[in-house]
Amino acid sequence: MDCVDLTTVLAGITLRNPVVTCSGTYGFGEEYADYCPLEALGGITLKGITPLPRLGNSVPRLAETPAGLLNSVGLENPGLEDFLVSYLPKVRKMPTAVIANISGFSLEDYVQMARALQVDSGLAALEVNISCPNVKHGGMHFGTDPHSAEEVIAAVKAVTNLPTIAKLSPNVTDIVEMARAAQRGGADALSLINTLLGMRIDIEQQRPLLANTFGGLSGPAIRPVAVRMVWQVAEAVDLPIIGMGGITTWQDAVEFLLAGATAISIGTGNFVNPQAPLEIIQGIKGYCEKHGLTSVRNLVGLAHKG
Amino acid sequence: MLTEGLVVVHECLGAADQRLRRLVLKGPIAKTAKAGQFVAVLVQDSSIPSYDPLLRRPISLAEISPDRDEITLLYRIQGRGTEILARARCGEQLSLMGPLGQGFSLPEVGELWLVAGGIGVFPLYALAQSALDQGLNVRLFWGGENQSFLISAGLPAWQALEIPLNLSTLDGTLGERGLVTEQLQGRLSELFGHTKQENTSSPQIRVATCGPKKMMQAVTELCVNYAVPVQVSLEERMGCAVGACLGCVCTLIDKAGTLSHKKVCQDGPVFRGEEVVWDGLC
Repeated sequence: MDCVDLTTVLAGITLRNPVVTCSGTYGFGEEYADYCPLEALGGITLKGITPLPRLGNSVPRLAETPAGLLNSVGLENPGLEDFLVSYLPKVRKMPTAVIANISGFSLEDYVQMARALQVDSGLAALEVNISCPNVKHGGMHFGTDPHSAEEVIAAVKAVTNLPTIAKLSPNVTDIVEMARAAQRGGADALSLINTLLGMRIDIEQQRPLLANTFGGLSGPAIRPVAVRMVWQVAEAVDLPIIGMGGITTWQDAVEFLLAGATAISIGTGNFVNPQAPLEIIQGIKGYCEKHGLTSVRNLVGLAHKG
Repeated sequence: MLTEGLVVVHECLGAADQRLRRLVLKGPIAKTAKAGQFVAVLVQDSSIPSYDPLLRRPISLAEISPDRDEITLLYRIQGRGTEILARARCGEQLSLMGPLGQGFSLPEVGELWLVAGGIGVFPLYALAQSALDQGLNVRLFWGGENQSFLISAGLPAWQALEIPLNLSTLDGTLGERGLVTEQLQGRLSELFGHTKQENTSSPQIRVATCGPKKMMQAVTELCVNYAVPVQVSLEERMGCAVGACLGCVCTLIDKAGTLSHKKVCQDGPVFRGEEVVWDGLC
């Protein structure tokens, strides 16, 4: 077989392949242009924005762990207004599906941003970050309380005509409950998972290594947790899932697709290998060929059926 | 670019107890690189791939030889990443991203003073070479722990450049006893006296510095005091090394007093010293 259909449909948008990049790891889409042509990707997710500019947390913001990375960037971003003026015009011209990511500290914050971002802005979808672990009094609060999660997704849906993706936090007792809440709020898709809250201590200084004490853990270390959550949510909720968490190889990506993800997203893996998305696209194609699948869509959730 | 570098030399630099290494890599990066830029090296024992450490290691370019397609990296083994890097053998290919970041800018004429603390001297060697090629006068101020360190960390190569060297060691075993900033201060006040004045006298002096943060801060304060332009090469923990993850920010202040964050990996690592806010983030 020499032809595998890699296109996939997610929340009503058609992606040329199921490989996208994660918010916060791919800047505003230009930073990796020398390493990975945007036209090869299924899509990219932009750095999270908030209504007002944020300088983020102090350094050190990063700490390595075995097969992992803790970060506490703290949502540094130029703010909505500058995003609309300085970044959105470039986004319109990008030859791939571009997903904006919004974060807030109140319901009004999310509504304000969702109202400003519509289909005619050139974006493909809106990812609602209700799961940032690195800012106080916000972000993750909406992602750990089902009622708040439902409310914020419903409020966003009410004011934007873009497909809405809820990015869920793994720092909850029951991810399925959160996924159901997002679905009740009207989410068109789910992103699973954001980072796991963690910390490191510098044993010589006898102090936390990150200036912010805690950070979000990403990288291969969290992959089994992410696969498990994708699996659980896929069983319980009828919404397409973008699977993410520690994907660095095509084998990792296939695992997520088999667990029930419609698309997969690469984050920290880009730092290790900026061409990982390209290699993963090729690897998924090769895997489909080897297993006699004519479409990557046939892979989704396959492990549930055996 | 993402490319590979063939290991052509990988050897101990100086005394073994200094844990310094010299790594020469052949590849296309040398053609476009400039002093002050860096590469992000994938640190993996190629015989046992693993994700620990996960991230690439940013290492500055100590020598750039476009005619031979070679770059030289000098580094100190001080953690798991460099420990594994040190095992790379001649003939192996290392995955590299680079050249990355904004390097030093050279004045067209005049005198360039390099002020180095410890292994901060490494990227300044490439800068010295470009400055000399351009016909500038170069002087090095370099402070280290002791004689053994300075000799191990490349003093003979600096001596071969035949430029004036102002050396200091903490224990006085080589050069002046004390800090490199004391020598810089001495030289500045010799030239300009003790009061602040415009750096209009001939020759025009520019400073470039690399070393511990506190040292660069002191160097910057001295330079600002004498109105001498100073470039500093900052260091921060990096994630992506291309400006995408915002892991390695520093704080700058402009003339109007506005604070902003810049990415050390992409906007730097070289910045104008007078713009850097040294005591952390806002």
